[in-house]
Amino acid sequence: MKKFFSNIKKYNKYAIRSAKAELHSEVADSRLNWLWWVIEPFCYMLIYTFVFGVVFQNKTPYFASFVFLGITTWDYFNRTVSGSVRTIVSNRDLVTKVYIPKYILLISKTYTYLFKMGIALCIAFALMLFQRVPITWRVIFLIPIIFVLYVVTFGIGTILMHAGVGLNDLENLVRIGLRMVFYLSGVFYNIKTRLSGTLQFIVLRANPSAFLMSEMRKVCLEESLPSFEGLFIWLVIGLILCAVGIHLIHKNENSYAKAV
Amino acid sequence: MSEDKNIALTVDNLHIFYKSIEKSSIRARWTKGRQKVEVFHALKGVSFELEEGKILGLIGRNGSGKSTMLRAIAGVFSPDQGTIDLHGHSISLLSIGVGFNRKLSGRENIYLSGMLLGFSEEEIAKKEEEIVQFADIGDFIDRPVKTYSSGMYSKLAFAITAILETDIMLIDEVLSVGDKKFKKKSYNKMRELISDDTRTVVIVSHSDDTILELCDIVLWINDGEFMEIGDPQTVVDHYLEFMEVPKEKSDGSSNIDLVV
Repeated sequence: MKKFFSNIKKYNKYAIRSAKAELHSEVADSRLNWLWWVIEPFCYMLIYTFVFGVVFQNKTPYFASFVFLGITTWDYFNRTVSGSVRTIVSNRDLVTKVYIPKYILLISKTYTYLFKMGIALCIAFALMLFQRVPITWRVIFLIPIIFVLYVVTFGIGTILMHAGVGLNDLENLVRIGLRMVFYLSGVFYNIKTRLSGTLQFIVLRANPSAFLMSEMRKVCLEESLPSFEGLFIWLVIGLILCAVGIHLIHKNENSYAKAV
Repeated sequence: MSEDKNIALTVDNLHIFYKSIEKSSIRARWTKGRQKVEVFHALKGVSFELEEGKILGLIGRNGSGKSTMLRAIAGVFSPDQGTIDLHGHSISLLSIGVGFNRKLSGRENIYLSGMLLGFSEEEIAKKEEEIVQFADIGDFIDRPVKTYSSGMYSKLAFAITAILETDIMLIDEVLSVGDKKFKKKSYNKMRELISDDTRTVVIVSHSDDTILELCDIVLWINDGEFMEIGDPQTVVDHYLEFMEVPKEKSDGSSNIDLVV
């Protein structure tokens, strides 16, 4: 663990610079590209709001904001988890030429995703203002919620990153898994009203994406406090996943350069 | 070796195996189970010491472990057995193309590669113009590296490592890079760098002329095993004898660009 923190300290500047450059290159390809960071989630929100709000007559209050917060959380989770599988292979040029602690590559990626999530959150707040959602001081709890989200996804990401080096088709499996998690996360429906009993408990508690999404909505839309107990439990799970992932990478990174 | 000289690099009983992570897929593991891991013993206990300011030539036929050795010394992977001691010197591996991110501009890659070589952003900023000048690739410096020709790619790679002088430089077949003009320029730059008394250099080359002209000592390895180290002329002669190449013929080989 000590090695991990000294590496972070040493390479954090690199990770930030690389993340900035990455974002910059997305904009550089075409001037309007950054607009896609806004347009894409916004359009998904419109689609889901129409399909599930109008067609399926969902009565969840502030449904558009509800959906948008869901998409914001989901996008971060999805991007990090699916992106992690190919991290080593897609950075082959780098990995085979210089030494870099491999999770720095993932950290750099998460920075770009965090930035995009920040933009999405700004839009979410604009939307909430537009829908006249009463915004309370409880939104400050977004900070610990996002922190837990970061830790959990990073933990999953490091483990998948390690596994992705040796398994060529892990990406396919992860894609299927993520699709399942997506539908079970309640991006466009309220798990608390649609499911009941044990099923609701399991879906909401065992799926970090669903749990954190619902906590986000609690503090933003429902004027209530998050479940501190749940956040704590997921933080602990997240830290354990991180420890396992970092350990796997430290132990095996020597052979990554030879395998890719 | 005399005792009063500083040792820049100590390689002791270096073993490198290629194995560990076998490329496979989930499907293959399902149907065939774990496959037998094939171990390739790339370096079999090579030891040598290099004094500060000396230039070591590394020779051996294709697949004898020369590039593997350079990568191990550069820290891309650590030794499976034995040790490599850099005595606190900074090091860079100049092979065909340092670790570039192809999506990013050449300029951004100067910073990212520089940071991975252990330089701070400020140090790189000071040298940036010099690197751009030396690379001499015109407007391409601000375009993504993926648009570069292989010549431009190598020119930039060479410029970065040549200008951001590290204490120890590892050079893998780059003297044959770029067009005639750049080749001459890089050769001269190399001579200039090499003439610096504090810089230690390890060169891998298939050109006997280059080795004989530039190197102070030559190390010959064959199939991962240490063969001989010592005076360039003697070692090269033994090597050529071993390879059964008549001397007259080998002189012409310097014009052929070999890529490892």
